[in-house]
Amino acid sequence: MNETRKWVLHRISAIILAPLFFWFYFSLISLSTKNYQEAIYFFENLLFTVLTIFLFFIAFFHVKISLSEIFEDYIHNQKIKDVANILALILSIIIPAITLILLIYKI
Amino acid sequence: MINNQNPLSPHLQIYRWHISSLLSITHRISGVVNLFSLILIFFWLLVLSLGESNYELFLLIMNSFIGKFILIGFTWSMSFHILSGIRHLAWDMGYGFEIKTANISGIIVIISSLILTIIFWLLGRGII
Repeated sequence: MNETRKWVLHRISAIILAPLFFWFYFSLISLSTKNYQEAIYFFENLLFTVLTIFLFFIAFFHVKISLSEIFEDYIHNQKIKDVANILALILSIIIPAITLILLIYKI
Repeated sequence: MINNQNPLSPHLQIYRWHISSLLSITHRISGVVNLFSLILIFFWLLVLSLGESNYELFLLIMNSFIGKFILIGFTWSMSFHILSGIRHLAWDMGYGFEIKTANISGIIVIISSLILTIIFWLLGRGII
């Protein structure tokens, strides 16, 4: 991906994430006072589930681009930087993917 | 890098702190903290899928003093990162570059992030 496109996608993902995170954190704070049954009931709401999965995928996309920027600034050894970028990529795919599986099949 | 004889520009610790530099590095740090909060939320969902007894234990930890401290910290970090991000987006569109404007918007971001965190917790926990 070229740098300009990265820059634009980083901003677009930020604009999508801002309202989603306000909603999500507010929901989680209220969820922290509720018991197991109520939490399960929360995720039976299809909209909540879909938005949560969407949020995880977009958030980790944003994370991946941001981490690459940080690695670029602070890691000077090219090999270590490459490994760090690969690990960040794996993390940013695995966590949203497992979240998707959890929310659709387990909860 | 070690044999490089080029002069180094001063490190971060050398400069006098300004609101702009403080917010710039805090934006980055809060972004990394937010990654940890996302991982915690991921574990939250994981524990939820593991059944009731595990989830009740997780809630107990989250509602302890340390748990609440971490959650409130994460809420502030996210609030700050989003508000500071909006400030960055304004810059990207070419607004707010004047020193005075940038300082004022910086102060607004700091104060609003604190207020937002308080409002989130008061409303979210059903206190008001």
